[in-house]
Amino acid sequence: MSSNATLDRFYLEIPATAQETQVAFSTSGASWRARLNQMSLNAFLPWLQEEQAAKVWPSIAALPSFWEIVDGTAIDCEDMRLVLIPTIEIDLRELRVPQEWIDIPSWSADYYLAVQVNPDAGWIRIWGYTTHHQLKTKGVYDDGDRTYCLDEDDLIQDLNVLWIARQLCPEEPLRAEVLQAPALLRPQAENLLERLGNSTVTFPRLAVPFQLWAALIDHGGWRQRLYERRQGLSNSWSVPQWLQADISDLAAQLGWKAHTLLAQEMRSRAEQIGLSRQLVITGNPYELQVFPRGNPEERIWRFELHSLDGDRQVPAGFKLRLLTEDLQPFSHNEDTAIEAVDRLYVDVILEPGEGLVWEIEPIPEGYDRAILNF
Amino acid sequence: MRTRQGLLEIFSTFLQFQTDAFGGWVTDPKLRRSMQTCLQHSQDEYEVFWVLYWYRIWQAQTSALATAHLTAYLQEVCYWTARKLTLKLTGNHSIADFFQTAIARTDKVLKNFNPQLSSSLKSYAELVLGGVIKDWVQKQQEAGICTDWSLLHRTSQKRLVEALQFAGEGRETIERYVLAWNSFKELYAPGATQTASKLRQPDNSAWQAIAQTYKAERLTQLSISSPIASPELLEKWLLTCAKAVRAFLYPTQVSIYTPILGQETGELLDRLPGSIQDSLLSEAIAQEEAEIREDQNTQVNQILTQALTQLGVEAQTVLQNYYQQGLTQQQIACQLGVKQYTVSRQISRLKQTLLLTLAQWSQKTLHISLTSQVLDSMSNALEEWLTAHYCSP
Repeated sequence: MSSNATLDRFYLEIPATAQETQVAFSTSGASWRARLNQMSLNAFLPWLQEEQAAKVWPSIAALPSFWEIVDGTAIDCEDMRLVLIPTIEIDLRELRVPQEWIDIPSWSADYYLAVQVNPDAGWIRIWGYTTHHQLKTKGVYDDGDRTYCLDEDDLIQDLNVLWIARQLCPEEPLRAEVLQAPALLRPQAENLLERLGNSTVTFPRLAVPFQLWAALIDHGGWRQRLYERRQGLSNSWSVPQWLQADISDLAAQLGWKAHTLLAQEMRSRAEQIGLSRQLVITGNPYELQVFPRGNPEERIWRFELHSLDGDRQVPAGFKLRLLTEDLQPFSHNEDTAIEAVDRLYVDVILEPGEGLVWEIEPIPEGYDRAILNF
Repeated sequence: MRTRQGLLEIFSTFLQFQTDAFGGWVTDPKLRRSMQTCLQHSQDEYEVFWVLYWYRIWQAQTSALATAHLTAYLQEVCYWTARKLTLKLTGNHSIADFFQTAIARTDKVLKNFNPQLSSSLKSYAELVLGGVIKDWVQKQQEAGICTDWSLLHRTSQKRLVEALQFAGEGRETIERYVLAWNSFKELYAPGATQTASKLRQPDNSAWQAIAQTYKAERLTQLSISSPIASPELLEKWLLTCAKAVRAFLYPTQVSIYTPILGQETGELLDRLPGSIQDSLLSEAIAQEEAEIREDQNTQVNQILTQALTQLGVEAQTVLQNYYQQGLTQQQIACQLGVKQYTVSRQISRLKQTLLLTLAQWSQKTLHISLTSQVLDSMSNALEEWLTAHYCSP
């Protein structure tokens, strides 16, 4: 009677989405990839969230910049990371995981879930899973399409095992060692963006050596720019433009707002147009503000972090740091809270068009490196 | 079907089909000799003893001989599972096709079999092979409704390569086809309003784009230099791929000894070298095991039944609906007025509880050292137990 049980396990209905936002991609294959990933996520995430605190990594708004170039969706779930690898294949002979999800340290995950999607019938099925360690040690690397492949028989079939194994075999290795690709300098990155940003390059991930590719897309700002260029869009990350006209859709999705900020200093009570974004750091709400100071000709900008929680201060140990586009430090680029303070801030003088990356320690939830241009 | 008599026959003969019906038992002379030798050393008459004996040897060395004996042993259960499903599943199915499909996957049965937790190899094989057949039927049906262009999207690279190899294509041709296929998939996919199974033929501009990409990518992605390919040629190649994939979907009518010949050695030894066989026979370990196993099965039954009663009424109703009534998760969700994922979550939570109980008990009582693989095979044993528990009158 009940033999549907084995086939039936880990079937999940794809919920009917209220509205599908139209996001542009450079090929119909990339749009399709995005749709399959989105369906997997819509079906799987609510299921996971019934019991675990789970969210998309780095953020939902950043996903198109991943799907444009590579298959897969990462989810951070409590202290582990999962990557969903969707497929519409019927035969399910093996799991193929793009190298990016394995060999870029910041992307790599503990578990890789094999998701079969049936868009016509409206369901997904988790048909197995494996670990980073298994893929690295037992998987076969195919340099033709830069994937790690694991035979269906080597996957763990029952997803329940994942949670039981975490309890009963905590010593089982989940991760294998991976090395960080050497960082790129700005001219190198600019060259790569110029070349791979051309959408007639159908497979950008295979067009340059992996180390260069990995270093490029590991940087959230460059990954975003690559996506925009492949859609033929100009750089949408310009702070002066956001303040004068409209904030870009993506920046708005990430939580950036342009509005009148009340300058906090005692001597000037002047109102100031600036940018702000809410952040959650170690579970508490903070606000990052970016606004110009003094005369416009001086081109001085302030980055300021303060708590949004009435009485709370910024605790000791917090750091606010600015870096150049290719992540180089410069003098007076950092403010550290040696003891609890009302705010952290850094003032910089910027040339027109210059780009900056901000970092905060501890790392805010959903942080993805972005380049703000001035 | 004539049931086989005696250990010698059970472990050394294979079922033969005449058209789509039972056609008799064929003896494999080497397996017969091997079994005869064994029976001279040990007079044990229990089938269970010999199943465990060969299973132990298979486990220790993945020996082709042990696989062959166990495959011979599983012929009947495979036949009956195939027959039962031809009657049960809608559509016009052949017992021989089902049988071929299932018997080719005895490795799957052996790999996840857990003699300490399963009631018997036969009942475990019935569950697994039944799943293999149903899975195959479902895949056939899905492939059947796909256009060639959809089928190409819905085929794995591994499968495509296997199908092309089976069709007799050489390595370099296959490499070109795979690149053409990858270019096709990236540049021509279902649009927002299209279904995944009804993708139509690419139009002229799509073929031009595919040809452009092939032209550029062949320089870096192919191991030997190849000329450019016209849109017409690419279309021809991709249709060849689709045809090869379709042909490869059906079980290939090869010799009944497939699983044996499938072994890399090819040569089947009459007698295994090494000492495992001798020590197993002389010490009659397997006999002892058979008895211990029976006792363990009773215990497994006890602790799972107990764990089940502790789950509470609501949980038991869900499991009953699911296993006994055979309701789908959607149907249960409808009854309860909740979302399907809530039901899926609930069932999965219940199974986690049972699996945890079973795993902890095995660790403590049987001193099984737990790994994810072991837990996965336990989960199969649990599935087998739940199925039996709710289906037995």
